[in-house]
Amino acid sequence: MATRTINVDYIARVEGESSLQLDIRDGVVDRVRLSIFEPPRFFEAMLRGRRFDEVLDIVARICGICPIAYQMSGVAAIENLLGIEVEPPIHALRRLLYCGEWIESHSLHVAMLHAPDFLGYSDAMAMARDHGDAVRRALALKKAGNDLLRLLGGREIHPVNVRVGGFYRVPTRAEFAPVAESLKRARDHAIATLRWVATFPFPDCTRDYEFVALRYRDEYPMNRGRIVSSAGLDIAAADYEDEFLERQVPYSTALRSALRRRGAYLVGAMARYALNYDHLPEEVRALAGSAGLGAVCRNPFQSILVRAVEVIYACSEALRLIADYEPPARPFVAAEPQAGTGCGCTEAPRGILYHRYRTDSDGVIQEANLVPPTAQNQGIIEEDLRQVAMAGLDLDEDQLKANCEQSIRNHDPCISCAAHFLTLRVNRS
Amino acid sequence: MSGGDRYSVLVAAIGNPDRGDDGVGPAIANRLRDRVPTGVRVLECGGDLLELINEWTGSAAAILIDASDPAGDPGRIRRLDLSSSRLPADFAQNSTHAFGLAETVELARALGQLPARLAVYLVEGERFEIGVSLSPRVAEAVGKATEAILAELSRMAAG
Repeated sequence: MATRTINVDYIARVEGESSLQLDIRDGVVDRVRLSIFEPPRFFEAMLRGRRFDEVLDIVARICGICPIAYQMSGVAAIENLLGIEVEPPIHALRRLLYCGEWIESHSLHVAMLHAPDFLGYSDAMAMARDHGDAVRRALALKKAGNDLLRLLGGREIHPVNVRVGGFYRVPTRAEFAPVAESLKRARDHAIATLRWVATFPFPDCTRDYEFVALRYRDEYPMNRGRIVSSAGLDIAAADYEDEFLERQVPYSTALRSALRRRGAYLVGAMARYALNYDHLPEEVRALAGSAGLGAVCRNPFQSILVRAVEVIYACSEALRLIADYEPPARPFVAAEPQAGTGCGCTEAPRGILYHRYRTDSDGVIQEANLVPPTAQNQGIIEEDLRQVAMAGLDLDEDQLKANCEQSIRNHDPCISCAAHFLTLRVNRS
Repeated sequence: MSGGDRYSVLVAAIGNPDRGDDGVGPAIANRLRDRVPTGVRVLECGGDLLELINEWTGSAAAILIDASDPAGDPGRIRRLDLSSSRLPADFAQNSTHAFGLAETVELARALGQLPARLAVYLVEGERFEIGVSLSPRVAEAVGKATEAILAELSRMAAG
């Protein structure tokens, strides 16, 4: 019996630490293990015993890439618990803040982390010598996202300005003027980036995912909506734990999620796009079409196109929100502690992020549950890997490893978030 | 972090003040802030090092300050000239972030966006646990590193 084991001991160009082991027995991929070895971080335990109004500053520290997402799901859950409905200008500012994070996070992944896979470079440093303009565009896009985060979040990393009931301080219209100029240039860079990635060679691959994303009226989803899926799921955030479960596996420090009835599912840019294509402005749909995308994309290698489309959308949406901005009469509404349970679900760049908190009558957190998108996508990442490995059984070890790493990066996993994750090992027998 | 083109020299301190000796850069930045010559901007950089490329573009020189891994001599100060040489390979492996200091510097070099003069001061750390203060020998090195950086800034100002 011939056994072959392929190990990737450390997966590069993903956020955090993880490894992959493939066991190939008699020409069949027998086992795929994506192991997250980043230490568990116990954020849910850290939150217990803290007041409801301390939560947002704590959860902003969970991830340096998507702190806004943690604040947005956190504030949605706490406000749900307290029965607070924020006014439309506050909601618009939060959506604007999310646009900044989508632009920054997606631009980093598209140009710096994922593009080298398609062009045959080991990393962005090597790619930059031949594709300097593309890298400079990404840096300019990141800067535009940072400008938004700085203005609305108080600073770029671990923002401090969001509070229960609103913001500590809201910007004046005049403060948005330089940011709008930067965003107009960023939108041009985003269109150029989509045209660049549309020229990449994409492996043939079609996957029948169950897509899961938010959906709300006519909005492309960010801060609110019902949780819907391509298989007909349609629930409120409060019912998340009835439909989804988190499981521990012995080889990983991250929990992984599944639909109780159907198993693995996909969240993130491909899911949002497939379930909300009709909510994209016509001009963005036209640009997506010119890059070869239809209303649904089922090739995970083309997720880079979908992210590039979402960057264009986020720039356009941010400009629209700024043009329409009227400062709210008051930056926040007061929040009084009360006992209860609240749930929030928002669209982090990598997909839906679910939070639930339970407080006592003093507003002290008794229980917290945070389910990041990477935990939700681990099942799909392993299923994709099995398919990529089966298709590449005859490849030499280095090429098989490269294909597997690229497959993992299709889903932009944030391992630091999931280890509340890469090394590739292939065993062939 | 904005307006880097108005300044001729950028001093960027990298590190997390809540992670023990990782906070040595910010501690040095605090000492430098009121003492640097006109035209020098002091910046703290917590996580997104790629932003440094935008920040130093237009600056004639940049000085970076960071903690280095324990190697048996906590508080040891090293100055490396990155204008023409790379950070040692072992240093490149130290970040769990997608882009660490070495990657950021090499990306800027590939893009032709390094300042004409670029140096990094590395202070060897001893402990990096969450919530602990600087270790005694690293705390002692803060003053010494501050003076060394001020002396370098004076030499730059003198041309």
